[in-house]
Amino acid sequence: MNTPEKKPVEVVLVDDHRMFRSGVRAELGQAVSIVGEAPDVDAAIAVIRQAKPPVVLLDVHLPGGNGNGGIDVIHGCKGLETVDGQPVRFLALSVSDAAEDVIAVIRAGARGYVTKTISATDLTRAIQRVADGDAVFSPRLAGFVLDAFGAAAGEVAQVDEELDRLSAREREVMRLIARGYQYKEVAKELFISVKTVETHVSSVLRKLQLSSRHELTAWAMGRRLL
Amino acid sequence: MRVDPEPTLKGAETTLNRFGIHAFVRQDEVMPTPYERPVPPAEARAAERRAARPQLTRPAEGKVIAGVAIGLAHHLGWPVRWIRLAFVLISIPTGAGLVAYVFLWALTPQSRGGVVGRGRRAVDPADADALAKAGGVPEPVTGAGERDATRVLLVGGLMLGIGLVVVAQNAGLNARLGILVPLLVVAAGAVLAWSQLDDSQRGRWLGSETGTRRFSVARLAFGGVLALTGLVIMATRGRSLAAIWDIGAAVLAVLAGVALIAAPWALRFWSDLRHEQAELARATERADIAAHLHDSVLQTLALIQRKAGDPGAVTQLARAQERELRSWLYAGPSDSDATLATAVVEAAHEVEDLHGTPIEVVSTGDRPLDDGGQALVRAVRESLLNAVRHGAPPVSLYLEVGPSGVEAFVRDHGPGFEGGEIPEDRLGVRQSILGRMERHGGAAKVRRLEHGTEVSLSLPPDLRPPQPVPENDHTTNAQPPTTPPTNVQPAAEETREHA
Repeated sequence: MNTPEKKPVEVVLVDDHRMFRSGVRAELGQAVSIVGEAPDVDAAIAVIRQAKPPVVLLDVHLPGGNGNGGIDVIHGCKGLETVDGQPVRFLALSVSDAAEDVIAVIRAGARGYVTKTISATDLTRAIQRVADGDAVFSPRLAGFVLDAFGAAAGEVAQVDEELDRLSAREREVMRLIARGYQYKEVAKELFISVKTVETHVSSVLRKLQLSSRHELTAWAMGRRLL
Repeated sequence: MRVDPEPTLKGAETTLNRFGIHAFVRQDEVMPTPYERPVPPAEARAAERRAARPQLTRPAEGKVIAGVAIGLAHHLGWPVRWIRLAFVLISIPTGAGLVAYVFLWALTPQSRGGVVGRGRRAVDPADADALAKAGGVPEPVTGAGERDATRVLLVGGLMLGIGLVVVAQNAGLNARLGILVPLLVVAAGAVLAWSQLDDSQRGRWLGSETGTRRFSVARLAFGGVLALTGLVIMATRGRSLAAIWDIGAAVLAVLAGVALIAAPWALRFWSDLRHEQAELARATERADIAAHLHDSVLQTLALIQRKAGDPGAVTQLARAQERELRSWLYAGPSDSDATLATAVVEAAHEVEDLHGTPIEVVSTGDRPLDDGGQALVRAVRESLLNAVRHGAPPVSLYLEVGPSGVEAFVRDHGPGFEGGEIPEDRLGVRQSILGRMERHGGAAKVRRLEHGTEVSLSLPPDLRPPQPVPENDHTTNAQPPTTPPTNVQPAAEETREHA
């Protein structure tokens, strides 16, 4: 999935700290080209609507808008598509790993969540993964998911389609991600293909966004999402 | 209440600036005379004078009516008894003493720390001299209880009343007795009611204990009723009942009108007061945040600047500070009960502080810390130490506490063991990790991955479940019957790959 021949992924970088923006710009290599930057919600919506990038790197906490930071940006860009007809996808980026922030921004529609301490190579990989339409889960986010769906407490869905619980396989994948395994390692561990791992992660993401489990809605309520 | 972290930080930043600048200025002032500022002679003399003649305040303790006499006695350095006598004496013929008393009462502030000069007496010889000259025996001010004061008040008031009546009759004002009695009643009621106002702290007004509070309310109500009765008697002297009703209705109408006009003002005043209080609370909170940031973040930033040449130390400082700030910002009031998750996280932080290698900690579920848990925490700590010493970052720790037991995984990305064997120098691993876990009914496995090593530790479920009769050790804790295969699977795999 990390083919250097691919043309660079176009990214809009939204963060209110100028120092962080220039740092990311300097760190990201050839695989990513930054086509726009914005420091607040309103500027971000304008820039994203104009540039229509495949991926937006989005800070969770931003000034402006309705005071909900990155969530407002996601709402403001709803339905926006790139030139190729793909939806504009969001990868959330934050210093905070408070459950409220993470869950709220994922439920608003972000395809993944990474913390700002992430290394440049991992960030590049995450951006490419989001551009390909896959989900990006950090170990911590996987931990939240296991917690929120009661998977750690032994709740497992009877059928895969059940929104309020993880299937046994999804739980396994989440557990391995929480243990610090890369997708590739997860695949090897479970004797499945990386593509299958990605499918499982995407389905967990879908559950995370659509489920009406009490824990998830409570976390989203904390950010005035519902 | 959860504070949105970014705004809080931003708000604190501005406060911080002010705080920092303020601290700077103060330091500058102190710099030229670091030991002790010499006191200017004029100031010293003023202080001496202040000490010799205490300020005119009314002490809260030992008072008979409002403490005016005691305050005056302390201020002038005369015996309290004389002053009280003087008040009574000049009250009898014309009532001038009463007027003076009320006047002083209204204008003299109440002292905060009990009796004036009492604390100072021990340290200040000048004051002690003044007191000795003045009265000799110090007043038994603190010992006088509420009962005592009330008694004296009653007797004094009675005598005062009798004296006034006698004087009035002597002067041939016999007919005025009808006014005098209600007037006295009004005065007594007012004194009772107003004496409540004196207790400047609202705490005492409302009373922190129910007993005091009831007493306060009773006093206020009694005073009010007394004053009202007096007023009514005075106003309705020699009139018929119908006339009283008329007057009453008129008074009520006037009162209602006044209330109607005053209500918006009162409301506005009240809301202003509330606003001010909220503002104050916010300012206090802000000051707290500023103080915390000053003690933690600013200190760390200063340290980082000094160690700018040492990337390892800088990373370590930044990580430690980040953790501290995070726990301060996001963690609510932590319950004092030691739990397994907090203990494991603490151990991870400790290792991180020791070696400066970041450890990513993820934990789900929790349970109270028992013996097995303690063993697990030590084994986790040992595994983490191994990982940071012999492995390579990133090091991650995952802890899962569920009904099927506790599982912990410590993973690094180092080269792992050569040939899958535990080398000689890591025989300690056998004792401190594998042996320890086995002694507590758990298990530990070390396995080599393509990149790095993973130590997995597990404990059986808590063997003391809420229901006292465990039927089957593995499925007691209300675990759904469908789950065991998924829970057991990773453990089985690891057994297979056991080094």
